[in-house]
Amino acid sequence: MAEMTGPDADWGSARELDDVSHRVAIVGVGEADHTRASGRSADAIALQAVERALQDCGLEPADVDGLMTSGGLDDQLTAEQFHAHFGTRHDLWISGEGGGMAWAATAPYRAAQALAGGDANVVINTFAVAWASQRDAMRGGPGEFHAREPFKAQLELPFGWFPQPVYFATIARRHMHEYGTSPHHLGAIAVACRRHANSHPGAVMRNKPLTLDEYLARPMLVDPLRVEDCCLISDGGAAYVMTCPERARDLRKPPVWVSGIGEGRSEAGTYWSQQRNFTSTPQVFSAPAAFRMAGIEPEDVDVLTLYDPFTIVALMQIEDMGFCPKGEGGSFVVGDHLHFDGGGLPFNTHGGLLSHAYVLGISHVVEVVRQLRGEAACQVAGARVGVYGGYTGHLASTLVLEGDA
Amino acid sequence: MSASPLPDPTLEITRPFFEGAARRELRIPRCRACGVLVWYPRPRCPACDADALAWNTLSGRGTVFSFAVVRRALWKPFADRVPYATGLVALEEDRDVRLVTTFVHCSPEELAIDQPVRAVFEPLRFGDGPEVVVPLFAPLA
Repeated sequence: MAEMTGPDADWGSARELDDVSHRVAIVGVGEADHTRASGRSADAIALQAVERALQDCGLEPADVDGLMTSGGLDDQLTAEQFHAHFGTRHDLWISGEGGGMAWAATAPYRAAQALAGGDANVVINTFAVAWASQRDAMRGGPGEFHAREPFKAQLELPFGWFPQPVYFATIARRHMHEYGTSPHHLGAIAVACRRHANSHPGAVMRNKPLTLDEYLARPMLVDPLRVEDCCLISDGGAAYVMTCPERARDLRKPPVWVSGIGEGRSEAGTYWSQQRNFTSTPQVFSAPAAFRMAGIEPEDVDVLTLYDPFTIVALMQIEDMGFCPKGEGGSFVVGDHLHFDGGGLPFNTHGGLLSHAYVLGISHVVEVVRQLRGEAACQVAGARVGVYGGYTGHLASTLVLEGDA
Repeated sequence: MSASPLPDPTLEITRPFFEGAARRELRIPRCRACGVLVWYPRPRCPACDADALAWNTLSGRGTVFSFAVVRRALWKPFADRVPYATGLVALEEDRDVRLVTTFVHCSPEELAIDQPVRAVFEPLRFGDGPEVVVPLFAPLA
């Protein structure tokens, strides 16, 4: 068995955050068309998502005075593109601490500061990728960032330990060794996501069913992972609109309240090879902080979406967030426990990165909002509390949302 | 993304590692103040903050910490090597120090976590490019 681990383990830490519970609401959500290679650019995709998010809440482009995107990617929506598209010219507060991945959960924290400080009144967070189209041109995509990193270039890539499926197959095998996790367990996650995508009109895999037997019969890609354990590569994106409590109550849809936010980090950075606790994610640090801010326990969560680049990443986060004891994720996820109607913990009810679209977590937040409004395709009956868990290498983040009482 | 993932043995941050490999030695930095092995290389010891790191020659023995078997070509430079096993070795001197490696001289099916392995020093080459000697790991027996 592995050495004991827990929130006090010294391999990472939680970021100290002020209490922003119920200081900001998500009032509008929109998704672009999610597709395989489409020839669209990331900014055109983002603008489609922004238009739909504004339609959702009944606000005009001129009402938006804050724009958050992913500062780490160079092709995200700019203020100039926003104005050129909508024919506006007002001042926009801009933040690069938004977008997808871990930041899809923490953008509301920065937005709450901007709202409180008078920097903005209506903030839109958007993220889009055209990685399916770019893959054909061999640029962009999830691997490029890592290949440029000097220690990886010197000490990892020469040995064929690259790209991400190789990292996470190595982590999965160790998790299997330490805890008895099996392909049946990973398959249960893939099957739950696929079933949800099959009912979601916007999911890339909406017409491709997958049973556990079919999963188990599929060949290994990077043993012990199959293609079905790995996320899609997509063109797509989404956006969500945030504002202060007073304004939130006057809009088209009922507000969804931000009640808790957390962020945790691994001291090993993005060197997965060197992470002290190899089979854990920094959700160990992030989730308890977010749940504390929200005043909830894991058992209060009605619907959960997790950043799921690989099935094993979802499994580890389920454990690390406290939904089951560490190492028991495998037996927790079997059968229909993760299905929206399974009576357990409804998980990635839109299909996730595995089967909905690889838009890096921004649609996970959209899905939680829809669940808490009662308008999801795979609606969880009576969902009141929803959580998104983000994971980006060295960072994990947690966003707790509550429906309007 | 570069066409060849051959390491640059002259790059300062890892130069002693590749100089050692050329002499069939596995070299890792050790803190002269507190004695811990420091990996990946960095200017100061993460345990005691001393800036007194020296590259030590180790036994080259360790155990398989974990591995992946790449069965389908994911990445062009390694497309002609599939299936191959790549992963992490926990070093004998400190099991918390993990080296990324390729496992050689055995089929992937023979490999298991915790299995003893030893460094072998072999030239790495992609296509018609130059060679760099690197430590790979093979079953001990």
